[in-house]
Amino acid sequence: MEASLEIPKGGFSFDLCKRNAWLESQANYGSSSIIKKAKKTGTTIAGIIFKDGVVLGADTRATSGPIVADKNCEKIHYLAPNIFCCGAGTSADCENVTEMMASNLTLHRLNTGRECRVITAVTMLSQYLFRYQGYISAALVVGGVDSTGPSLYTIHPHGSVDQLPFVTMGSGSLAAMAVFEAGYQEGLERQPGIDLVRAAIQSGIDNDLGSGSNVDITVITPEGVQRFRNLDKAEPKYKSKNPLFYPKGTTKYYDEIISKVAIIEGDAMEQ
Amino acid sequence: MQAPQLPTSQVEQPKESRFSPYQNNGGTCLALAGADFCIIAADSRLSLGYSILSRNTPKVAQLTTKTCIASSGCNADMVTLQKYLKFKIQMYLHQHGKEMSTPAVAQMLATTLYHRRFFPYYTFNIVGGLDQNGEGCVFSYDAIGCFERLKYTVSGSGHALIEPFLDNLVAYKNTDNKPTIERSCDETLELVKDIFSSAGERDIYTGDFVDIYIIDKNGTRYEQFPLKKD
Amino acid sequence: MSITEYNGGCVIGMAGKNCVAIACDKRYGAQYQTLATDKTKVYKMHDQLFIGLAGLATDQQTFYERLKFRLAMYSLREERLIKPASFGKMVSTLLYEKRFGPYFIEPVIAGLDKENKPYLFSSDFIGAPLLPDMDTNGFVVAGTCTEQLMGMCESMWRKDLEPEELFETVSQCLLAGQDRDCLSGWGAVVHIICPDRVITRTLRGRMD
Repeated sequence: MEASLEIPKGGFSFDLCKRNAWLESQANYGSSSIIKKAKKTGTTIAGIIFKDGVVLGADTRATSGPIVADKNCEKIHYLAPNIFCCGAGTSADCENVTEMMASNLTLHRLNTGRECRVITAVTMLSQYLFRYQGYISAALVVGGVDSTGPSLYTIHPHGSVDQLPFVTMGSGSLAAMAVFEAGYQEGLERQPGIDLVRAAIQSGIDNDLGSGSNVDITVITPEGVQRFRNLDKAEPKYKSKNPLFYPKGTTKYYDEIISKVAIIEGDAMEQ
Repeated sequence: MQAPQLPTSQVEQPKESRFSPYQNNGGTCLALAGADFCIIAADSRLSLGYSILSRNTPKVAQLTTKTCIASSGCNADMVTLQKYLKFKIQMYLHQHGKEMSTPAVAQMLATTLYHRRFFPYYTFNIVGGLDQNGEGCVFSYDAIGCFERLKYTVSGSGHALIEPFLDNLVAYKNTDNKPTIERSCDETLELVKDIFSSAGERDIYTGDFVDIYIIDKNGTRYEQFPLKKD
Repeated sequence: MSITEYNGGCVIGMAGKNCVAIACDKRYGAQYQTLATDKTKVYKMHDQLFIGLAGLATDQQTFYERLKFRLAMYSLREERLIKPASFGKMVSTLLYEKRFGPYFIEPVIAGLDKENKPYLFSSDFIGAPLLPDMDTNGFVVAGTCTEQLMGMCESMWRKDLEPEELFETVSQCLLAGQDRDCLSGWGAVVHIICPDRVITRTLRGRMD
């Protein structure tokens, strides 16, 4: 294999597409597609515009089918110092799309020498998602404050964009939107704004099985960003009265190799 | 003469509508037999897709003074089946002047399920109680009445999470270090709470409350144990 | 049956106090037929860093070869060992690169960083990273019996396990989990990574 082939050049590789299509056509692996176990963020994500800025909220559950894969994942991603983004949908897509956009926006800032606008991020994201025709399944809530004031958008996987004063997305979007519809007012103060988003996410956590665990909140104002990780926590797991453990010698083994670790002078993994 | 072939695009395809009589309402059932007691438990969440339909719909029903049944699967079928079983047990009491024994209930459930071999009740049942000798007994079923007497069993959405745990800490598979004393009723009850709180953490269809029935020589005791609501 | 389940197998990673464990089963099959019983799925990347690859065997091999190559390039360029966290990121990007024509593998990474803190990583087959919270959920699982393994770990894992306790916990969790899965099993291999040594033990299990 040529070394140059292995130097990352960015972008997707479609090398295995043909093989995978062939594999799928070959044996009978059942009616469901062979590509089925991608990790999803079932998710409730939401955001509102309040008097001075934007509040974003998210739950912290990631699921793989009916199983909770991660109980405390982070769904509010950094895009720029003044712009943050909640992601719902396929976990890998949300993670990578936001990471890529964060680095593109950094380059944009360095090129232009000024703060990014929210609409710039939204346009870049929607154009990217549209190019992939919905196959990159990321549903996003983008919020931030720029020279035009606070703004809030949602972007669907196909690339369509909405701009609204209060938005929700993900499988818990209806539960969260119900709370917003009941409680949202224009020109909310900061604390009532945060509390409203908390209530909306909590409603998703309680009523939607795809969402769960804790509430994450990010508040963006012209003065700066405040991030609250696990602002509301799920009740802790039941503590057993007779904790279980395995006594030594429980497991039989018939072969043991102990390899000493070479101690390298200085720090091997330094920097 | 051959009939002229119509272009396929102009031919209306027959419309087919299907009735899907089953739905899965999730939930986990568990039963553990001891030397002179039996614990049978199930969570009380009723769900469909990503929605919670009810947080307090019992899956366990008491059939006789020393027999309980727990069922997961389709709630409508579960309700019907349990009502039918209660009716049959009542009739037995009137006809024979004595209560049905747990193994007899177990056999009757199997017959009832197999009776509907080609349009089954979509339920996964567990029967637990004390047998004629006062020993704890547990029966496990598939949807069409194949059954087996066991020491412990689990069914429903969280079964894959719990089953290896029971193999490991109740049957002590994969070790020679078996404790000499059997778990007491209280210790088993605590174990059931541990199991459900762990399953509730990872299975989205298991949660809200656990209904626990403890059956021993004094009769049947009920306990409710809270789980997470998310 | 999904293609990720074609060959069967499972991997589990678990964190302890200044130590970390990674273990796998030994089955290699073609659907329900067992072809070999000595296929381990955990590979050593360097003294303190191991990766386990569950899923389609052909992709395990290809991916492992690519990882070896990338790691060699890394050590030539950087003249140092890769940090577990950087390695996790590398695996994640390698998988996401093939988002629309993926490798059918699920990786599990276990390693100790330079402060001897355990590092665990797992992802789905398109590289969505899962870095468990070491205080509450110090375990990751992959393969054909993830539900069983998760159920075991959720009940049995606790914080600050010493190396020997960690060995018992990870072994019992793996054996119990794989016994309820017909696509995994036939014994197991456990690696306990400690700051000064790596203990590798081969377990007896059900041979069916």
